[in-house]
Amino acid sequence: MKPLVLFAQVSFVVVLIGAWEFGDRVGAFDPNILPPPSAVIVSLRTLLQSRSFIADASDTIVRVIAAFVIGAPLAVVTGFVMGENIGVGRSLSPIFNLVLAVPQSIFLPVFVLVFGLGFTEKLIFGISHVFFVVAVNAMAAVREVPHGQVVLARSFGASKFRIYRSIYLPAMAPQVVTGLRLGVIFDIIGILLAEMYASRSGLGVLLLRWGESYDVDKLMAATVLISVATILINELMRIWETRVGRWRQAMEDR
Amino acid sequence: MTAARPIVIETRGLGKVFSVDRAPIVALEDISFAVREGSFVSLVGPSGCGKSTLLQMLAGLVPSTAGEVLVDGLVVRKPAPDKISVMFQDATLLPWKRVSENIEFPLEIRGVKAAERRERAAAMLSLVGLTEFAARYSHELSGGMRQRVSIARALAPDPRIMLMDEPFGALDEQTRIKMGHELLRIWSKTGKTIFFITHSLTEALFLSDVVLVMSHRPGHIVGVIDAQLPRPRTYDIIGSAEFGAARNRIWKLISQDDDEAGANGMASL
Repeated sequence: MKPLVLFAQVSFVVVLIGAWEFGDRVGAFDPNILPPPSAVIVSLRTLLQSRSFIADASDTIVRVIAAFVIGAPLAVVTGFVMGENIGVGRSLSPIFNLVLAVPQSIFLPVFVLVFGLGFTEKLIFGISHVFFVVAVNAMAAVREVPHGQVVLARSFGASKFRIYRSIYLPAMAPQVVTGLRLGVIFDIIGILLAEMYASRSGLGVLLLRWGESYDVDKLMAATVLISVATILINELMRIWETRVGRWRQAMEDR
Repeated sequence: MTAARPIVIETRGLGKVFSVDRAPIVALEDISFAVREGSFVSLVGPSGCGKSTLLQMLAGLVPSTAGEVLVDGLVVRKPAPDKISVMFQDATLLPWKRVSENIEFPLEIRGVKAAERRERAAAMLSLVGLTEFAARYSHELSGGMRQRVSIARALAPDPRIMLMDEPFGALDEQTRIKMGHELLRIWSKTGKTIFFITHSLTEALFLSDVVLVMSHRPGHIVGVIDAQLPRPRTYDIIGSAEFGAARNRIWKLISQDDDEAGANGMASL
């Protein structure tokens, strides 16, 4: 069953790319709008050798990482406090859920007005994307820590720190990592969006510029590259998620 | 025989008042009893009479609002894991740890070295007869097996006292009877003092030297029954005349108290 499914999935992708290439060759598609995969691969190779493209890509990567490194720990701590402290949780969690309901992209013009066009604006916009989803998941994770296990650890003389390390940490890990995975994706969305809207450097700027100037080969190449990169990041995070959540999965399968 | 042994657990005028939305609720009132070293003492009473709260106070997990708990003559204010292990109705095994790691957990908390922990866990596993399940996870075990792991874990730090809060309450009847026999075997082998909560009169009487009988509103002790049944005990004893008589005495204590409470309730109307 499993190899068959994999075969079907791979064939689907191969057929799709083949049809795309074939369509261009026979003139069914306009190569000025949809260039064939072979042309995209050639232009991808030149892009990866271009110093200026690498510089723009690095700017984007630095922004994404910086926003995550600052936003994620802040969010985990906030979510933890909200989960542990019923008063704080009750007052803040409705607000967080409301914020999550609003498309954050609409705040972008305001961010630009307040923070300008530099690194700070993109960093803060990225952090705002990471923060809420990670915090809400961390809070839910704390609430899931079984009270009985905490009492048990206390009865064996466990210190507060030991309870956090031996009970809270493993019990919370699966849900927190889910939050982090979504956080990375939201982070990338936020940074690329901020770059496309108004920026001096970054992949977002390039995408927008190439789109406007009909530089379709490059546009397609960068789009494919970013897609592959985000898929890889997501899958790596998912592996981590499965690893820390194996025990929970096993319990659900029972 | 046990009468000559020293007292290990003693409560003096123990009480607990909960404040729910500023309205005080008296959960336990004037609980006084003593448990002798190496004896098996059960506490029976209806659901919601405060048995679990009492056990948590003995364990130092919940503070009392009146009176005191003494273990070895010293007032209990916080958990004393070197002397006391607690077992709950739910086996509370950590689902991310293997069976042997679960048994090692109390030793891990104490900072016992890994090699020594492993050795101790293996010994406890063999005592409860689960050696071949050492590498399993809790979700792979049956309810009875999980409680046996929980017993092994409670015994791992070698406490002198085991406080057990309806440990077999969630098991089916057959498993429950088997676990009772198993517990008696382990008790006679290790010589621990066991304080055992149950709402089953039969289970209490079958296992114990002494049965404390509790009633509710507020939770208080209505009587102490000395089981005076021969040991070692087998299942047949449950059908004997002495067993039936003792069981009736316990039932009378509980039902009389209920009637009085009912009568008082009527009078106050």
